[in-house]
Amino acid sequence: MTRPMNTPLIAGLGAAILAAFVLPMVLGGQWTGIFTSTACFAMAAMGAGFMYSRLGMVSLAQVALMGVGGWVTLRLNHAFALPFEANLILAAIVTSVLGMLLAIPALRMRGLYLALVTLMVAGGLEVVFTAYQFPNGGTGFWGVGTSFAAEMRRPVLAKGDGAYLTYTLIVAMLGLLLIMAHRKTAPGRAWALIRRSEAAAIASGTNVTFYKTWAFGLSGLLAGLGGGLLAGSLGLLDASSFRASESILLFALVIVGGARFWLGAVIAAVLYRVAPGLLNNWGVDADLALIFFGAALLHAVTTAPDGIAGQIIGPFHRKEGKA
Amino acid sequence: MIDLNGLTVRFGGLIALDAISARFEDSVSGIIGPNGAGKTTTMNVISGFLTPKAGSVMVDGVDLVAMAPHRRPRWGLRRSFQREQIADDLTILENLKSLADNLPGNRAARRADVDAALEFVGIAAMAGRMGATLNTYERRLTDLSRCLVGRPRLIMLDEPAGGLTVEESAHLGDIILKIRDFCPAQVLVIDHDVDLIARICAQTLVLDFGRRIAFGPTAEVLADPSVKAAYLGIEVEHA
Repeated sequence: MTRPMNTPLIAGLGAAILAAFVLPMVLGGQWTGIFTSTACFAMAAMGAGFMYSRLGMVSLAQVALMGVGGWVTLRLNHAFALPFEANLILAAIVTSVLGMLLAIPALRMRGLYLALVTLMVAGGLEVVFTAYQFPNGGTGFWGVGTSFAAEMRRPVLAKGDGAYLTYTLIVAMLGLLLIMAHRKTAPGRAWALIRRSEAAAIASGTNVTFYKTWAFGLSGLLAGLGGGLLAGSLGLLDASSFRASESILLFALVIVGGARFWLGAVIAAVLYRVAPGLLNNWGVDADLALIFFGAALLHAVTTAPDGIAGQIIGPFHRKEGKA
Repeated sequence: MIDLNGLTVRFGGLIALDAISARFEDSVSGIIGPNGAGKTTTMNVISGFLTPKAGSVMVDGVDLVAMAPHRRPRWGLRRSFQREQIADDLTILENLKSLADNLPGNRAARRADVDAALEFVGIAAMAGRMGATLNTYERRLTDLSRCLVGRPRLIMLDEPAGGLTVEESAHLGDIILKIRDFCPAQVLVIDHDVDLIARICAQTLVLDFGRRIAFGPTAEVLADPSVKAAYLGIEVEHA
């Protein structure tokens, strides 16, 4: 069975590859950093987006999980002489496992209650991050010193800020392809069935527990990668970046961007990171962005359930008869 | 052979099934009864969504009650629901694959099983269409073909003709009757369409308020005065 070529996907991948190599050349110093962190948050947004659109599960802990990925990356960086990639992968695995532990309450809960549980986890992580801060090369388990600024090693291939942006965009693209691969294989089918009805999934022999846990693990993995790459970009992380309220904001922007589409995660992250930067540049208080986001969310919920991405990509899908 | 032995289910003080026993030996059998009689409850016990207070479900010598619900499809149990359960964001093919994914065997064999089921039901040509684009009848056919994937031993159809026109219902009946040529599975059908039941089911169990009021060859059962009173009488009032 051959499927029609997915035009928006191919266009998107082409644009992303182009962006990965062109953006670093044209952006100024400050903007290179902003786009790098945008790519990091896009990874977390992808995780929240696929969980919501494929399984109907609301996770309000994605940014907090990025914090976990960042913490582990920094901790490993300052404790051992492992290369950046090893730290990043280990951080992603730890975050993924934490995400799966998060799934334990999800096996019994749905909708609002599940969202509340994930929010409590985000709140708990916020307390830990605020109390202990992020490792900066100090001693002890928590690794926090008062006047330390130990070096954060970056990938051998991407020492400079521009190259690091390319690196981050490529990892984000791989994350996206990982989700797409799931969509077309057994887990994606199981998720679609679970969302349709858990009873139907069980009657089809689907192990609902296993596939829900898998989804949490995958979304944790993406958040962990995003957090680790953010740590590599900034060298130091601040607890205020990973508050529970940030997780809620990112989820809201995923709805605005469009949870069903890969472009939605990109739009969500751009709104999350670039919009405040732009307002700053224009001499407007960046907090005003929250008001725009609120209005955009209202718009999405009332008139555009598939978000901005749905309005852009939707017509292509309809034309191909797959809406 | 499907052997229900003393199945009892209670919801608090309500007795949903009261020591139901029946032995289905024919390839297509039916369960009928007024709303709330316990038909779907019986199906839910067999598929494992409800654990009976007492009784057993023996199919080909295997006690299904002891098996975890999500393992029963692997054993060979298939069921459809009153509301069809087609995922809108999957194609027909993917909807069938979502069941085949959980069956034993290698990828090629499972794919061949899926194709055979699509072919048998007659929807192979539209297998690439998304669930969201299907009409009621196409959804019912997809649901039925999903029940035929793999090597089913017992297929339970809960109101397969719900919402269908007379012609569609007749066509569906034809397909169900031909299942015996396709695979050795026994079929249990619940439906309100007595014409359909009378046409396709050799044996029929009649339930009312969780009790068995008749069981046997369909023609005899439908002629039973107590069945007419309990079931057809109420049906006439509706009409």
